[in-house]
Amino acid sequence: MSDIVNTRALTPGTQIVLVDGAVAEIVSNPLDGVWVFARYLSSPVDPAVVGTEEMIFAQDIAEIRSSA
Amino acid sequence: MTAASASGYRTGLVDLARGQVSREIFVNDAIYAQEQERLFARAWLFVGHESQIPNPGDFFVSGMGEESVILCRDRAGKIHVFLNSCRHRGMKVCRYDEGNTAVFTCPYHGWSYGTDGRLAGVPYFREAYHSRLDRAQWGLVEVAQLCNYKGAIFATWDPAAPSFAEYLGDFARYLDLTLETWEGDDSGVEVLGGIQKWIIPCNWKFPAENFCGDSYHNISHRSVDIVGIGPSGSGRRDMREREMARRLQVAFYERGHQTGIYLLPQGVSTPPAYAHSPIVAEYFANCEEQRRRRKGEWGRVIGSPGELFPNTALHPRQPRTIAVWHPRGAHRTECWRWYFVDKAAPQEVKDFLRDYYIRYSGPAGMTEQDDMENWNYAHAASRGVIARRFPYSYEQGQGFEVDNYEWDGLRIPGTVMDITEAKSSEHNLRNLYRRWAEFMQADSWDELATWRRTDRDIVRAAE
Repeated sequence: MSDIVNTRALTPGTQIVLVDGAVAEIVSNPLDGVWVFARYLSSPVDPAVVGTEEMIFAQDIAEIRSSA
Repeated sequence: MTAASASGYRTGLVDLARGQVSREIFVNDAIYAQEQERLFARAWLFVGHESQIPNPGDFFVSGMGEESVILCRDRAGKIHVFLNSCRHRGMKVCRYDEGNTAVFTCPYHGWSYGTDGRLAGVPYFREAYHSRLDRAQWGLVEVAQLCNYKGAIFATWDPAAPSFAEYLGDFARYLDLTLETWEGDDSGVEVLGGIQKWIIPCNWKFPAENFCGDSYHNISHRSVDIVGIGPSGSGRRDMREREMARRLQVAFYERGHQTGIYLLPQGVSTPPAYAHSPIVAEYFANCEEQRRRRKGEWGRVIGSPGELFPNTALHPRQPRTIAVWHPRGAHRTECWRWYFVDKAAPQEVKDFLRDYYIRYSGPAGMTEQDDMENWNYAHAASRGVIARRFPYSYEQGQGFEVDNYEWDGLRIPGTVMDITEAKSSEHNLRNLYRRWAEFMQADSWDELATWRRTDRDIVRAAE
């Protein structure tokens, strides 16, 4: 299992993998330790969300794919 | 008056015909609980100043009665006041005093709100709620009405309350003495430094009545006057206007607002002040000249402490400050004090005033320390079952107030008590308790907005 991601350390441009397998890129971080704003790059579960921006809950982040 | 009662408010506790007020209204827990609903949930309350939140995302956590609220500017620049409580389980969504943020996130379960109050993030919205939660219904609770009055932000929880302008009535002219620049225009004042916050073990009405214009307690400040903390090196303030002006107490019976003022004779300039600093003295002399030019005859009015009903204290001159007396139980008050300065004032003036303000007001200010000691011990000595049986006296000057007061060609709005010779009166204090009792008794704004009733009566009579 991956280490728990420190949400506050995620900077814009960082790519993250979500627990449902989607990949998203950080757009901004309010630094509340709970949410980040990210744009979907891929989503095996719901391809329609690709390209959209959403708030991502910290516990939905599985791991960091690549740093900014 | 009867003995202490476990029950709450009843008529007769404020007995203005006899000039007496029962100690119960200060020390009775049931009355305190009723005040939260009858007063603080209905009246207009001071929340903060726009200069505290200049940029989108800026916020300042303030209070309205017992409620914690967030004053913030959203991404589009609009100012809001929200209840600082998550809609899910009530946790505070903001636990900082002030700052800048994109969202207010509840640390308990993670619900997150935009700076416009909209519920933006709900953990497991799709999975746990099956996307069925109507997020539009679960935004932060927003005040019913908000008013940005010359940069000062006032708000009320009551949608039925009159507009802030109507709530103020003609008292606006006196409030302006604190919120306009020293030149008397709207170009902007700003909050100087941080907000001072401290707690006093007394009921909130002790400081409220003190700032209505209780000049009788000046004896308490004699030691400060002897020390000479004033900006000209003597006394605690520059007070030379007392030598030539009429000294007035002004009350608005239908609104509950009141203030002291000094009224200079025609053709007499405001006396020089701030003699300890030539730069500051020159700045204020110039401001006074401009103000007199801009305001005409009204420029003869010099501000003195006042109170915007129910719990906002005004101190328009030395120091220029607003205080809010936040109720924290019948026996505890949290005091918050904002200091103001002209945005455009030179830095030397701001620095000088900051030093003087700190010397005078707040928890470490020499004048306010005297007041706190009085309120603290007065409250403590009024709590016992024996003490509660004996009302306070508010008879001073009763019957000497005047409507349509005019002196040396200037009419003064409000009901006026001229205390130039009398030196003191409890006229303004009685007005606070008159309005307090009306709020405690009235079930609706139809009853409280008596000025509207008067207007209707006039129309009916004309018909």
